Amino acid sequence: MHPSLLQDSVRGCPKEIPHNEKLLSLKYESLDYDNSENQLFLEEERRMSFLGFKCLEISRWVICGLIGFLTGLIACCIDIAVENLAGVKYYVVKQNIEKFTEVGGLSISLILWAVLNSAFVMLGAVIVAFFEPGAAGSGIPQIKCYLNGVKIPRVVRLKTLVVKVCGVICSVAGGLAVGKEGPMIHSGAVVAAGVSQGRSTSLKKDFKIFEYFRRDTEKRDFVSAGAAAGVSAAFGAPVGGVLFSLEEGASFWNQMLTWRIFFASMISTFTLNFFLSIYNNKPGDLSSPGLINFGRFESDVSVCLLLSSPKPCGLLGALFNILNYWLTIFRIRYVHRPCLQVMEAMLVAAVTATVSFAMIYFSNDCQPLGPDQSEDYPLQLFCADGEYNSMATAFFNTPERSVRSLFHNPPGRLFYNPLTLSLFTLTYFFLACWTYGLTVSAGVFIPSLLIGAHRTLARLVSIMFVCRSLSQVWAVPGKYAFNGSCRGIVRMTLSLTVIMVEATGNVTYGLPIMLVLLTAKIVGDYFVEGLYDIHIKLQSVPFLHLEAPATSHWLTAREVMGAPVTCFNRIEKVGTIVDVLSNTSTNHNLGKICGLILRSQLIVLLKHKVRELARSRLTQRKLQLKDFRDAYPRFPPIQSIHVSQDERECMMDLTEFMNPTPYTVPQETSLPRVFKLFRALGLRHLVVVDSENRVVGLVTRKDLARYHLGKHGLEEMQLAQT
Amino acid sequence: MYIFQVVALLIALLYYGNAQTSTVAVNHTILGSELSADGLKQLAAIVAPQSPVFHPSRGSYFSLNLLSAFPEDLEVSDYCVELLAIFGQRYSTYVNCLVSAARPVKVCQNCYGSYDNLMDIYTNISSDQMGPGNVSCRDSLLRSDRLMLVFLLYNNLEDIWTGSECNSCVSLGLHSLTNDTLYFMATLNQSLRCFEKFQQGNHSALCKECKATYRGLNELYSRMEKNRTLCIDIEDSMNMTRRLWSKNFNCSFPRAENVPVIAVSSFMLFLPIIFYLSSFLHSEQKKRKLIHPKRAKSNTSLVNIQDRLS
Repeated sequence: MHPSLLQDSVRGCPKEIPHNEKLLSLKYESLDYDNSENQLFLEEERRMSFLGFKCLEISRWVICGLIGFLTGLIACCIDIAVENLAGVKYYVVKQNIEKFTEVGGLSISLILWAVLNSAFVMLGAVIVAFFEPGAAGSGIPQIKCYLNGVKIPRVVRLKTLVVKVCGVICSVAGGLAVGKEGPMIHSGAVVAAGVSQGRSTSLKKDFKIFEYFRRDTEKRDFVSAGAAAGVSAAFGAPVGGVLFSLEEGASFWNQMLTWRIFFASMISTFTLNFFLSIYNNKPGDLSSPGLINFGRFESDVSVCLLLSSPKPCGLLGALFNILNYWLTIFRIRYVHRPCLQVMEAMLVAAVTATVSFAMIYFSNDCQPLGPDQSEDYPLQLFCADGEYNSMATAFFNTPERSVRSLFHNPPGRLFYNPLTLSLFTLTYFFLACWTYGLTVSAGVFIPSLLIGAHRTLARLVSIMFVCRSLSQVWAVPGKYAFNGSCRGIVRMTLSLTVIMVEATGNVTYGLPIMLVLLTAKIVGDYFVEGLYDIHIKLQSVPFLHLEAPATSHWLTAREVMGAPVTCFNRIEKVGTIVDVLSNTSTNHNLGKICGLILRSQLIVLLKHKVRELARSRLTQRKLQLKDFRDAYPRFPPIQSIHVSQDERECMMDLTEFMNPTPYTVPQETSLPRVFKLFRALGLRHLVVVDSENRVVGLVTRKDLARYHLGKHGLEEMQLAQT
Repeated sequence: MYIFQVVALLIALLYYGNAQTSTVAVNHTILGSELSADGLKQLAAIVAPQSPVFHPSRGSYFSLNLLSAFPEDLEVSDYCVELLAIFGQRYSTYVNCLVSAARPVKVCQNCYGSYDNLMDIYTNISSDQMGPGNVSCRDSLLRSDRLMLVFLLYNNLEDIWTGSECNSCVSLGLHSLTNDTLYFMATLNQSLRCFEKFQQGNHSALCKECKATYRGLNELYSRMEKNRTLCIDIEDSMNMTRRLWSKNFNCSFPRAENVPVIAVSSFMLFLPIIFYLSSFLHSEQKKRKLIHPKRAKSNTSLVNIQDRLS
């Protein structure tokens, strides 16, 4: 951030190390949630009428409604596309398997299945790896970072959205052990960022509306609404969505916002529900509020059983995270070329198909079909006529349907025997762990539901209950299964509890679910962080956690800050500015103590001034805030601005444009204090001054994020170029 | 609430009787159909102090089995009673038929006639057309009490009929089985005859010889399944046949190609290992360039801060 390569070359060759988790990347900048109250801003505010403010408020509501609507539509499209593509795939494979069961040659079916899977996944991986790497993964870590105040490059672009949606369709249809929930949240956020700006830079189309919202503060509010709408569409959980946004973006929460976000969530789940009911030819039925649908659970709770074993779940979650951590490090270090990434994804898809096929082939568990499972793709293979391979119900299906069939088989008929279930769980655990972090867009939620060590355990227990026929009332395997579902991986307790309660439509389970989640989180946290946090760390993102690391009170701003600070005079020569800007890639430059001006602002200034100067020096149009907004969010690099020798000699008055009242702290302020300011106000820069109010340094996000509590006490992360 | 109404009615009746006869005894009192023993006690408690006619010793008059006539206007007409009797007969006929056809399930093919009869009489009862003497039996038979027994009885059987989906096997007027069903039965019989023929001796011969007919039957069945022209009879007989074929005669497909499947699977599983090994060995490791931030103090050595302190 501060430094330049120049300095490095002076000191000698820059040191190179392999990628690890203790790095902060220079790639990420901070979002600026603090309004720059310069004179232009004040002027605009003065010009704005009372009615104008009212209109702004109304347009905020309209935007939130639009966000919800579009997010719901996207969810609907994803659902329909996945259903149909997967339907075609399974139909073809099923026909093939049926043919070859009789005449022999099942290995050909195996190859066909693997090839089909790989083909889908290849498509998904190619668009992600070659066109938009930002769309990889579930997108939840990225949105988490965005709401935290980190500007992840290209994370809320239209292109990302398109790639994300297509990618998730391909990867789910390709049979990977993934879900489509995480991508929904990302999609919602992108929709929000796009709609609220009233233009698309990718399409080069500006609708000239909502121009007021073109800055980080407003955009962030809408993005959190979008994320909430995404959650709500994914799980049919509007309140859970709001809480998710609250939990992730809570650092800059605005109470006024909550209601709007709730509105967006409601609209989104309703839209999805409405269009899906039309698609299913049951208009007005409104029975699928979310992408994932657990159906109804009957409510008789025997709490003692529900609480059977969250601890193993936490342990298993921790194991998942540790394995995934090592895998991700390996991927970052060695599998970084796009073609390798595509190959890896294809291999995973092929192996998933192979393992599934082998499982189905060697399974002896045959069960008759239930009355309501006619729409699935039952495989008979070597079962008696009229019975079907029950391993196939789990593997030969989209993950979402497997979840549903696992949770919802009637207690009397043991659809899965314990062996089938444990094998399925074990394989799925490793597959999901291997899959997450591939260069495909996919979520981890459904797999984590499906894995459930815990679920297996709980389920085994409950099945044993049935076997011993201790009590028929207790024997509702699906319920324990549900409560057992392993959520030790993710660890967002509050919103997840509410999401689960809402998704099942059953408040009765609130307490058990909560206790299970809590225990799983505590157990899991003891060993390793949550999966998303791990991935954020591995991406070298300067993420500000809830609080400054403990035992950091002795660190003062003087030690934390970057220094020396580049200072300009109030009226500065253009040449000097251009030189300074070209030399460093820092983002902030400081007018003495009188104010703070951003690099982006300077660049816009230069651009316009230069143009004005070229035309005529007399008819200088006054720069307005609009000019800054038009350039947002992609400010041109300094290299693109050409300044002639003549212009270099001109003087530029920065008074109007700088923020005259930046936040400052004295040198002796402790790190936690600075941290709190940053977290609560969403700052990007904090000026450190001495006793005479002279600038001595500047604290930025990376200066704060680099401290973390390691094994040996407080450790410092290194800055690196990635 | 209801009890009170009945009580009020009875009190009124008692007084009526009192005024009419002025005798000591009321030798017939009508019990409402819902009046339970509890209700009676309550009634006695309320009525006893006021009415001289009511003595505990005469409690035997209030027997639950006592059936006496209501006044004319509350009586069920003869016509309706007749209908009810016919309903009872047909009802028991149908139920008998059902029970005898329970296993193996033949409820549709054996009992559609009696169901038709039952339905006729019930339609008669429930129609709102006036019978002879301008009476509608619908109200008096079907809806005059809480239990609505006739309705309940019929409803149960109707549920059985719907649940067994007999409608798809029986032609529209319930006069005969559909052609599809008859054809299926014929095919099924063909298969069964074949089974019988080869049952003695080696089952593999049976598997070979009867395969064609059995497969034809299976295909017919799945076609009918698609058209939704299945009823419980067909489903059950097919299930039995399938069980016979797969379990008794053991004619399912054997798991014969373990070797190729294992070979292909292990090849597939081997691929990622090669991939990761080769990318580990050949792909160059991604290095990160470290960057030294500008700091006020020269804490350039990025060592552990705690170490520095200690």
